[in-house]
Amino acid sequence: MLADIFINPWIDMVEAPDFLLQVLWEGLVSGILYALIALGFVLIFRSSRIFNFAQGIMVVFAALTLVGLHAYGVPAWIAVALTLGVMFILAVTIERVVLRPLVGQPDIILFMATIGITLFLIGFGEIIFGGENKQMISAELGIPTGDTVLEPWGGLLILQHLDITVVIVATLLVAALLAFLNFTQMGRAIRALGDDHQAALSVGISLQTIWVLVWFIAGIIALVTGIAWGARAGVSFALEVIAYKALPVLMLGGLESITGAIVGGLMIGILEKLFEIYWGQPLLGGNTETWFAFVLALIVLLFRPQGLFGERIIERV
Amino acid sequence: MNHFTKLAAATLLAGVTAGAAMAQELYAPNLSYRTGPFAATGIPLMNGQADYLAMLNARDGGIGGVPINAEECETGYSTEKGVECYEKTKGAAIVTQPWSTGITLQVLPKTNVDNIPILAPGYGFSPMADGTVFQWAFNMPAGYWDAADMIVQYMESEGSLDGKKVAFLHLDHPFGKEPLPVLEMHAESKGFELVPIPVGLKEMQNQSAQWLQIRRERPDYVVMWGWGAMNAGAITEAVKTKFPMDKFIGVWWSGHDADLKIVGEDGAGYKSISWSFPNMDAPVMAAIKEHVIDAGNTMSNEEEMQGVFYSRGVVISAILAEGIATAQAEYGTAEINAEQLRWGLENINMTEERISELGLDGMVPPFSTSCANHTGHSGGWMLEWDGEKFVKASDLLQADVAGYQALLAEKAAEYAESNAPWPTNESCSAMN
Repeated sequence: MLADIFINPWIDMVEAPDFLLQVLWEGLVSGILYALIALGFVLIFRSSRIFNFAQGIMVVFAALTLVGLHAYGVPAWIAVALTLGVMFILAVTIERVVLRPLVGQPDIILFMATIGITLFLIGFGEIIFGGENKQMISAELGIPTGDTVLEPWGGLLILQHLDITVVIVATLLVAALLAFLNFTQMGRAIRALGDDHQAALSVGISLQTIWVLVWFIAGIIALVTGIAWGARAGVSFALEVIAYKALPVLMLGGLESITGAIVGGLMIGILEKLFEIYWGQPLLGGNTETWFAFVLALIVLLFRPQGLFGERIIERV
Repeated sequence: MNHFTKLAAATLLAGVTAGAAMAQELYAPNLSYRTGPFAATGIPLMNGQADYLAMLNARDGGIGGVPINAEECETGYSTEKGVECYEKTKGAAIVTQPWSTGITLQVLPKTNVDNIPILAPGYGFSPMADGTVFQWAFNMPAGYWDAADMIVQYMESEGSLDGKKVAFLHLDHPFGKEPLPVLEMHAESKGFELVPIPVGLKEMQNQSAQWLQIRRERPDYVVMWGWGAMNAGAITEAVKTKFPMDKFIGVWWSGHDADLKIVGEDGAGYKSISWSFPNMDAPVMAAIKEHVIDAGNTMSNEEEMQGVFYSRGVVISAILAEGIATAQAEYGTAEINAEQLRWGLENINMTEERISELGLDGMVPPFSTSCANHTGHSGGWMLEWDGEKFVKASDLLQADVAGYQALLAEKAAEYAESNAPWPTNESCSAMN
C-alpha cells in the first residue's frame, strides 16, 4: 500500500515517459481552459464584487447562439461577430435591468441576482435553441482537425490539432486580456475599481460603463470557451457544468487575482490529471477529478485563506 | 311524469354526466427531461412517446375510445425534481414513468403504498424483473442485466474472453452501476478481467483522464453505460485516442444518432445493443406522419424521427398503450384505474402478429410479461454505426436469463428485506 502511494507512481512515470508527457499535455489543455473560465469570474468580481454564477450558462448561450445563427445560413465568421454583438447586448441588458437597480445592495443580493440570470438564460436558451446536442461549426471556423503523432523515447504522444489550437488561442486571449488591463485606460479603470471602489468613483470612473465592459469581456471568454469545449463533444446545456470546474481554481488562486486564475487553472488542470492517473485510478477506483481540485484548494486555504494570489483582507473591529 | 320521477331522472342524468366528466381521459403522466445536461438524449425519446399517443388520440380517439393525457412533468433528470413530479402527478395517474434509474429507485417504495405501476422500459433497477417482489414495477421489454449478458455474448462470439480485458466505462450514478453484478459474474465465469472506469457528472464532456486510463490498460473491449453528454464525450475521446471503434460497445442508451454524428465516419464500427430499431416503413410511422406531423402537432423533426431514440419513444408508448388495452379487455371498461393497468402490464403478449397489428414491424422484438416476469426479456439487436446511421449488425440476441435468474431473485429478496416490511405477491409463485 505504501509502495503504491510513494514509490510505484514515480516508477510508472519513469518507465513510460511518453505516457507521462501525454498526461501533462491533457492536463495543460484542461488547465488553460479552466484558467480562461476563471478569468471571466475574476474580472467581474474585481470590478463589482459580484460572484457571477451565470458564467457557466453564458458559455452555453454564446456557443448556442453561434451554432444557431450558422444554422440559419449566416456564414461562420459573421456568426461569430453577431454572437459577440449578442453578448454585448446581453451585457448592457444585465447592467441596466439587473445590476443598476441593485447598486449598494449586499453582495449576497447581487450573487442571487446572477442565479436569477442563470435560470432566465437556461429557459430563454431552451425556448430559442432547444435542448438537443448540436455540432460546433469547427470546420467552418477553420479549426484544424486531425492530430500529430510523436514518438518520444520510442513511445507515443498524440497531439490533437484542436487541442493545440485551443492552447494557442487561449494563451493569446489571456495575453490580450493582460495587455488590455495593464496598458489601456479602460483596463486600468477596471483594475482601479477592483483596488478601491470609492476612490475609483471619486476620480470619475463610470461604474456602469465598467460593468458593461467586464460582462462583455466575460461574454467573449464564454464564446471562446464554448467553441473550445463544443468542438470536443458538441454543444448542449451540459457545457454549463464545465464552468463549475473553475470554482476550485478561484479558491486556489484567489477571487481577485488575474495571475491567480491563470496559475490556479494550470495547476489544477495538471495536478488533477496526474493524481487521477497515478494515484486515483490505481488506489481509489478513479473519478477523483470530481473532488481532487476542491481538496487541493481547501489545503491551500488552510494556510492562505485568501488563496495563493488573493489579497489579504484585514478588518478592524 | 310526477315530480319525484323528474327528480330521479335529473339525478341519474347528472350522475352519468358527472361520471363522464370525471373520467374523460386516461391520465398517464411522464416525468420527462427536456432540459439540463441530459436533454439532448431525452428530447427525441419524449417526442417519440408524445407523438405515438397523440396519434392514437387523433386516429382512434385514444385507447378504447378514451383519450390519453400524457402530461409531462419536467425533472431535468434530477432525482429530487423527479420525486416532486411523482408526488404532484400521482393523484389521478394510472401509471408513472420516472425516466431515470435514480428517480425509479426513489419512487419504488412509494408506488407500493400509492398502488401506481411504474413503467420504466429498459431502465431502472434490474431485479424489478421479479414480479413476486416488485408488484408495481415494470421494465419490459428488457433490463440492464439482459443488456450486459447480450453484450458479453456478442464479445464472446468474436472469440473466447478468457484472459482478455474489458473496460467498463460508466456514468458514476445508479444507472451506470446497474449491470455490474452480471458483468462481474461473467468476468469470473469466463475468465476476463473487468476494469470499471467511472465518469463523474462534471467530467462527462472532458473524459481525457478516463481515456488515458484506457490507453494504459489496453483493454480488448470497452463497454459503455453512458447517458446524456457522456456518450458524445466518450465517443469523441475514443476517436481522438484511436481506440478501435469495433471494440467499443454501448448499452441501448448509448446509441443515439446525434452523438455519433459529431464524429461521423470516424465513429464507424461503434456498436450499441438495442431492443428497438427505427423503421420508417413501418405502418405506425405513416400513421404518426398522417395524424400528428402533417397536422403540425409534433415537436420533432424529420431528421430526429429517423433516429433510434425517437423510434424507441414510439415503442415505449406502444407498450404502455398495449398494457392499457389489455386491461380494458380484461375488465370490460375503457376507463381503467391504476390497479387494473398493473394487471394489463403484467399480461402483455407482444407476438410477431400483435407487433404487426400495431404497425410496429421490425421496431421491437416479441416479448411477453407475466405476474412473475415484469421484464419480458425480449432480447435485442446489436446495432452498428456505419458512419451515417445505425444498422443492424446481428440477428436477434437473447439474454441467457437462466444464468442470472438466481441472482435476480437474490437481489430482489435482499431489496425487500432491507426495505421491510415489503409486500410481496404470494399468489405469484413461479418465475417464468
